[in-house]
Amino acid sequence: MEVFLGSGLAYARIGLILLVLVAAIVWFVPSYYTGLLTLIALYALVTLGLNLFMGYGGQVSLGQAAFFGVGAYGSATLATRAHLTPWLGTLAGGVLAALLAYALSFAVLRLRENLLALATLALGIVVTVAFNEWDFVGGSSGIKDIPGFALGAYVFDPRAYAILAWLLLLIGIWFAGNLVGSTYGRTLIAIANGELGAQTLGVDSVRLKRQIFVLAGAYAGIAGGVYASYQSYIDPTQFGFLLSVNFVLMSVIGGMRTLWGAVVGATVVVALTQILQTVVPIVLPSARGDFQAFFLGAILIAMLILLPRGLVARLSEARA
Amino acid sequence: MTAAARESGAFPAALAVRGISMRFGGVQALEDVTFSAQSGRVLGVMGPNGAGKTTLFNVISGVQRPTAGSVTLNGVELTGRGVDRVAGLGVTRTFQTPVMFWGLTVRESVVVSLAAREFARRYPPSPLRALVGSGVASAARRRADAALRERADALLERAGIAHLAARATETLAFGEERLLELARALALEPAILLLDEPLSGLNPDEIHAVLAQIRGARDAGIGVLLVEHAVGELLAVADAVVVLDHGRVIAQGAGETVARDPVVIDAYIGDELE
Amino acid sequence: MTAAIWQYVLAGVVVGAIYALVAAGFVLIYQVTGLINFAQGEFAMIGAMTASALATGGMPTPEAALIAVVVAAGVGGLCYVCAIRPARAAAGVTLIFITLGLDVALRGLGLFVWGTNPLALNAFSAGNAIQIFGGVLPPQAAWVLGTDLVVFAALYLFFRHTYAGTAVRAAVANPPIASTFGIPLRTFAFWSFVAAAAIGGLGGVVIAPITGATYDMGLTLGLAGFVAAVLGGLDSLPGALVGGFVLGIVEKVAGGLVSTGWEQGVGFLILVLVLLLRPQGLLGRAVRRA
Repeated sequence: MEVFLGSGLAYARIGLILLVLVAAIVWFVPSYYTGLLTLIALYALVTLGLNLFMGYGGQVSLGQAAFFGVGAYGSATLATRAHLTPWLGTLAGGVLAALLAYALSFAVLRLRENLLALATLALGIVVTVAFNEWDFVGGSSGIKDIPGFALGAYVFDPRAYAILAWLLLLIGIWFAGNLVGSTYGRTLIAIANGELGAQTLGVDSVRLKRQIFVLAGAYAGIAGGVYASYQSYIDPTQFGFLLSVNFVLMSVIGGMRTLWGAVVGATVVVALTQILQTVVPIVLPSARGDFQAFFLGAILIAMLILLPRGLVARLSEARA
Repeated sequence: MTAAARESGAFPAALAVRGISMRFGGVQALEDVTFSAQSGRVLGVMGPNGAGKTTLFNVISGVQRPTAGSVTLNGVELTGRGVDRVAGLGVTRTFQTPVMFWGLTVRESVVVSLAAREFARRYPPSPLRALVGSGVASAARRRADAALRERADALLERAGIAHLAARATETLAFGEERLLELARALALEPAILLLDEPLSGLNPDEIHAVLAQIRGARDAGIGVLLVEHAVGELLAVADAVVVLDHGRVIAQGAGETVARDPVVIDAYIGDELE
Repeated sequence: MTAAIWQYVLAGVVVGAIYALVAAGFVLIYQVTGLINFAQGEFAMIGAMTASALATGGMPTPEAALIAVVVAAGVGGLCYVCAIRPARAAAGVTLIFITLGLDVALRGLGLFVWGTNPLALNAFSAGNAIQIFGGVLPPQAAWVLGTDLVVFAALYLFFRHTYAGTAVRAAVANPPIASTFGIPLRTFAFWSFVAAAAIGGLGGVVIAPITGATYDMGLTLGLAGFVAAVLGGLDSLPGALVGGFVLGIVEKVAGGLVSTGWEQGVGFLILVLVLLLRPQGLLGRAVRRA
């Protein structure tokens, strides 16, 4: 298990250092890499929520991309149709995703493992189909020309997005760090590994699971809102099942029951995807499409067999 | 009488089990079981293997719903409520195989128990406050958490396992697990405590320790229901006994009288021959 | 209007037959190992793509089909040996993720081998469309339904009338006792993967002339197969058959009446409803609460 740093503040301190580092890096590097850093932070935010739900709460979700998408679509729709500033739009996206998670939780949280995985997978796909079929949000064409973030007259450029994304991640990890170190967090772990035992002590496990499911949805929704403005174009294909699998991959690689694992996992998956897409066509010129899926799938399997607690847990053990 | 139980109105407690029947899969596990248990007394639950003792505990604690009958605590209906609601009303239990919270330390396990009551009492109308308060680590929340840890240490001291406070629950020996499970249950300050074979698998020293905890619970005013195969130990600590066989109550009363009852002896011998 | 609906129903029967085959593979693996194999659909993809690629390269269809099924079966066995057996002792969630990884990896592998272009396979027999009460089915539909019949009949015969099949049923009903009788559970698990892959691959081969073959057909087929299996009951092979057809028909009728986009969506709504209202499915046995 990750060597717990004691409180959210400790995480926030490290997060602050990272933020400063990122700000420094984006000053010098081409915007392509800045974009990757932004993506890493946004994905890490989603994965953070997922870690709380899966690693600490002991549940499974194969549909987080749906909440990410709801946040993106919510923010984008409000921005393009109601001319709401993306600052509020992102907040609204987070709230929408949280509400969706709340509603869905009544249906799915009584299911265990296998069936919960199936149900979240199914709901994730239904949400994507809804995006595709609903003309109000653009149907299969999606939404384009999404307004970007702005502070007064200054419209965000890629560097500003990177800083915003890492700032949000910092806040997210501070909150999660506090949560995990608190009695609330300990109760979550108790539910994950001994639900019946916790219930006989009076713990309302269903309510706590619901709360964490909603929190994970909120994290994903906020990340989605920023994503929409950053990309300025979204369509249903970006939020499908494969993205949900990617989030699970990031969670597993970094370590499900850790917080930094979300950042590590996101970094590894994004970096690896980039590397594979550059290197493999050189070696195998006939490769086309999302072939990196093969390697990511193989890595997921290998990680689960060899390092089931993820990279961060391994490094913590090595240090201890 | 424990303070929390007094304030929750559960004292003096009377657990009334009336006409409980349980049928599943074509098997009549319990049939028309009726008896009562009171605070400050230990009620032994005896019977040969397969008599339905664990099923009875499952019904009382809310793990299973009976096919007929009712269980009430001071007149409040327990049947049909979820396990956590039953616990909130003052009835908790331990299991034949202790349920441990892997990933937590011994102290944290007890904190979870203490916190469960805090959550119920402190944040009833606003479910978000616990989450948000913990997330932003408000000063009040941090103080409350620290206070819980201190109380947990005090409870571990009384349970005789204070030296294990910082240990991960995965590393505990079986006897230590039993003591922890008991300490967790006692931390809840229940009105009624169901113990499912708490002595099985223990060495004599550990048995001695657990029995001391049971007596301590009784003296503090908790009503204990005790299922135990070690008949000698059971009779030594029980104030009264109820005997089940094939799902029915075949005898009730003082320990010595019941132990000499020919019907009871017959049931046990029948079990041995099988 | 009714003529249109009847046509949708017929289309649903054909696609439902394939769902039934994929679902049979799920149920097989679930019954023997307790696992939900998220990669099941990819076996169908491998069957379809292998057969189409070989046939396009000049091989006669029957041989291409046979080799495709064997390849799919081999991949199934490999998956078990490389990914499932090493993790047998792991927590439930881990195994779910491993099959997820397999699904993704196999799809990626398909991309490597065949690229993104769709492939085609000729129908097994030439001839006119089949007419049924005013509706029309392509001649290949007869092969599809025939395959279903053969596969399910074979499964029934195997489990009810052979020693091996009975041994598997015993092992599934009571694993600890089975192992004391010397029944090798791991071997059964291995063969269940091989069989499920072969059945899935066969399904892919027979449907390819109707739907074409692409590297990402596995995802939709697999997901539909899940839904069909859960709908019919994860512990019931006849349930897979029923679930497959019910799902296929409901999908096509809803898709025809509302919009094709909702075909997939309707299936998942069904899944959620089933999980909520009747988790054991139509023909499965009720799950007892702890």
